[in-house]
Amino acid sequence: MSDQFTLNSMALRNLRRRPLRTAILIAALTLMVSALVFALSFVMRVNASIRLTSERLGADLLIVPTGSRGSAEDILVENRATSFYMDRSLVDRVRKIEGVDKVSYQTYLVTLTGLCCSVPSSMVVAFDQDSDFVVTPWLKEKLGRRLKKGEAIVGSESAFNINLGLVEVDAMLFGSVFRMVGVLDKTGTGLDTAVFISDENIDDILKNGKMTIKAGQVSVIFARIKKGEDLYKVMSDIENSIIEVDVVMRRDVNKGLISTLGDISKIFYLTLILSTALSLFLVWAIFTAIANERTREVGIMRALGAKEKDVINVFLVEVLVLGVIGSIIGIMAGTALSLVMAKTFSILKNLPVDLTVLTRVGIGAAGLAFGTGVCALGALFPVQRLKKLEPLFVIKQE
Amino acid sequence: MAQIIVQNVTKAYQVGAQTINAVSSVSLSVERGDFISIVGHSGSGKTTLLSLIGGITNPSSGSISFEDRDISSLTSDQLSEYRNEKIGFMFQFASLLPLLTVRENLLLPTLFSKGEPSREEPSSKAIDLIRMVGLADKIEAYPSQLSGGQQRRVAIARAFMNRPDVILADEPTGDLDEDTERDMMNFFLLMNRDAGITFIMVTHNSDLAKRSHRVIRMQQGSILGQ
Ligand SMILES: Nc1ncnc2c1ncn2[C@@H]1O[C@H](COP(=O)(O)OP(=O)(O)OP(=O)(O)O)[C@@H](O)[C@H]1O
Ligand SMILES: [Mg+2]
Repeated sequence: MSDQFTLNSMALRNLRRRPLRTAILIAALTLMVSALVFALSFVMRVNASIRLTSERLGADLLIVPTGSRGSAEDILVENRATSFYMDRSLVDRVRKIEGVDKVSYQTYLVTLTGLCCSVPSSMVVAFDQDSDFVVTPWLKEKLGRRLKKGEAIVGSESAFNINLGLVEVDAMLFGSVFRMVGVLDKTGTGLDTAVFISDENIDDILKNGKMTIKAGQVSVIFARIKKGEDLYKVMSDIENSIIEVDVVMRRDVNKGLISTLGDISKIFYLTLILSTALSLFLVWAIFTAIANERTREVGIMRALGAKEKDVINVFLVEVLVLGVIGSIIGIMAGTALSLVMAKTFSILKNLPVDLTVLTRVGIGAAGLAFGTGVCALGALFPVQRLKKLEPLFVIKQE
Repeated sequence: MAQIIVQNVTKAYQVGAQTINAVSSVSLSVERGDFISIVGHSGSGKTTLLSLIGGITNPSSGSISFEDRDISSLTSDQLSEYRNEKIGFMFQFASLLPLLTVRENLLLPTLFSKGEPSREEPSSKAIDLIRMVGLADKIEAYPSQLSGGQQRRVAIARAFMNRPDVILADEPTGDLDEDTERDMMNFFLLMNRDAGITFIMVTHNSDLAKRSHRVIRMQQGSILGQ
């Protein structure tokens, strides 16, 4: 220690001079940075999830039986099992509408726990393999072949529920045994808890008499429109020419969720702004006190030959050490908080996207820059004033 | 050519509507190796004059040059270098930094010196100097653990750390006993004679003043006899 006396070691000793004050500053910075890290993690995760959920459908329009608009959203956004049906002939009518590019359809078969199946309450979705562009793109691993009769693929949550995780496990559905041959990626919607089967199975299920639907019925038609077509026009064309259906736009599916999350984000931003203001004020107030306290010392140092930049240096090291310590604790706290919240917040729990390590590192870097930046900004004025004082004037102060 | 030339320097302070001339039209020429004592009543401007020469305050009018350089034309950084390299200050008031040990207080001026200071040399110099002022056993003590007179001696030692050309000493022996005071004065005279350091020393002790080359009397901001 004895041979390493430098201006930096002076700065560190200054920090230890008033431990309580140092602790308060670090705590304020920690609070602010953790608020920032948490808010950024939340907002980025939610935004990525919303984008993905919207892209997930792969369809621009969802066409459901008139009056079932709400039920469709229930299925897609939450996992509320409902059933609604329309005639399969509508699929062709939709396909013929000007501007429609691709059409596929699904039939929702509701299961009830214990009643028919060995699977916990979930949706069984029968889809048309030939036209499908909604389900199979989400397969974790490409199947490379068509689903056979008696085979199923499952949503990520179902896979978890059936304690499957991998493929090749059997489950009872509607009195038949299904072999699970694939798992979908997490989509963050009700479909995560669904089981998907080829619609070639429907006839067998009907024969078993476990379901109330009639042959040739579908629940939802997915339509993708041609590039450059006016979405609204196609939508109203469909609604006008086929009175049996309602049309839901993809981007409207998540509307309620998006606005809720938007409100939550606002609260986070507000918290962030308040804690930033608090930190700035605290740093400013405490460094003003520090500057007053050390006026004489600075005067003596200046008289002994310290340049203005030497004075700034001593304070800068103090400020940076404070800022970095506060930021690092804040980053850890904010990250921990966001990880805990992700497990307990039901909204977050269902989000399909988790932040990558790289994103988290980026958020951490932003937190570090912000924390030290705010600390430096708050200390700037008190310290600037100090370095300009005339040494004699300062030395004579008691 | 004189080492320091003070030319018609006035330092005025504005106190309310009143202007106080702490130093008033002072001229003074100091040769290299001089030993000058400044005496005068309290408030006569002694500290102010030393501060002007040492570049820790600016004159209101007049000029001060050191080795042909007008120090009032120096930039802030150049002035810092001037104080650091040429001047050794002994302040009238306590001037040790409380957070630093005796040794660190001595090393403080070397931290502001140009270029990378070699760690070994200043450290051994600090030990030499602290021995010369009789405080070798206190080198790791903090100022608060020293008596007033001991603190004073540490400040005296510190003034020599950067091998200054000029020592500006403001009542350096004010709170020392007679024996120690005499020791310090002997030390000053030794440094003056052997190292050729110029001394400008404020003192109230006429015996000390007598041992210097020249005595300057100040009264109400002016040098008597000017
Ligand atoms: N910052 C200031 N503002 C106003 N007046 C000042 C200021 N500094 C010094 N003075 C005045 O200038 C005069 C000279 O002060 P100075 O400190 O030089 O006296 P001194 O001779 O050193 O006195 P002492 O022997 O008591 O130390 C005094 O009358 C003092 O009141
Ligand atoms: Mg004085």
